[in-house]
Amino acid sequence: MFDLMLNAISFASYGNFYGLSNIAISSFDIIIAYIAAIICSIVVALILRLPLLPSRPYRYSFDVSALYPTPIIAIGVLSIFLVLNYTFMYNGLVLAVAVGVLSALFVKYLFDFVFPKPLDENTGDDSNE
Amino acid sequence: MNEVIGIIIAAILCWLNFVIVDTYFGLPEQPGVRGASIIGKDVEKRGGDIAGGFFQGNILCSPDASAGTLLASIGYLLLGIPGGIIAAFLVFIGNRLCADPGYAGTCGSLTATAIIFLTSFIGLTPEMFIVGMVIAIFTIMGISQTGASKVLGNIAKKFNRHARE
Repeated sequence: MFDLMLNAISFASYGNFYGLSNIAISSFDIIIAYIAAIICSIVVALILRLPLLPSRPYRYSFDVSALYPTPIIAIGVLSIFLVLNYTFMYNGLVLAVAVGVLSALFVKYLFDFVFPKPLDENTGDDSNE
Repeated sequence: MNEVIGIIIAAILCWLNFVIVDTYFGLPEQPGVRGASIIGKDVEKRGGDIAGGFFQGNILCSPDASAGTLLASIGYLLLGIPGGIIAAFLVFIGNRLCADPGYAGTCGSLTATAIIFLTSFIGLTPEMFIVGMVIAIFTIMGISQTGASKVLGNIAKKFNRHARE
């Protein structure tokens, strides 16, 4: 049933499917790198005076905070580096710290420029047919 | 594990994952984007529930936990756990591009990655989750839109997230 799909996927990502990605460092080091990226991004975001929690009620995620977009961006970019098998030195620890710091700086200074808030504050409320 | 049994279990897990995450983050309460409100009012006009209609419009118009679950299973199939996290990151960017205020997409794909990782120990594979997620979205959008909206409205009432008219 899945033979065609399996062949297509194994050609698309050679030697890389079923979670067996070609990351050179061990899984323990990967977990340490993720934890380092998350902690580093949150700490640097707090140093840059971002609020820890988003504004209540949790409906409007355009307000940046230290807990919502910062660790997501950090671990997302770190994952891209890991699956490309680029782990700089000390088993990816330096890379994780650098990605955490840069993502906190991005959220603080560049986020509103790259992803501007929608002009209409109450989108969806005024659709009278 | 047998493929058919695995797909059924994966469909149930995906359905629970995205309905619970989406309802918790308030999709039935208000339309996040403009198209969602049109769909919600149309479903209500045809005899459905307004909260379920907003839910269906939201999962149709912008990447929420349903799209997050599907993309996380595809990313997990291709790249493992980092693939699921990359899917969460891309869903976050997609939310920003759709001007969708909400946390459901990223949280849904992260929880889906965790579920796929945990159930891989009992033999469920990511492609079962892809098929199961398509079946789960089909039960919400495809079979009977008004009937599904009533079920979603009842779930929203249980979570105290029903749209207050």
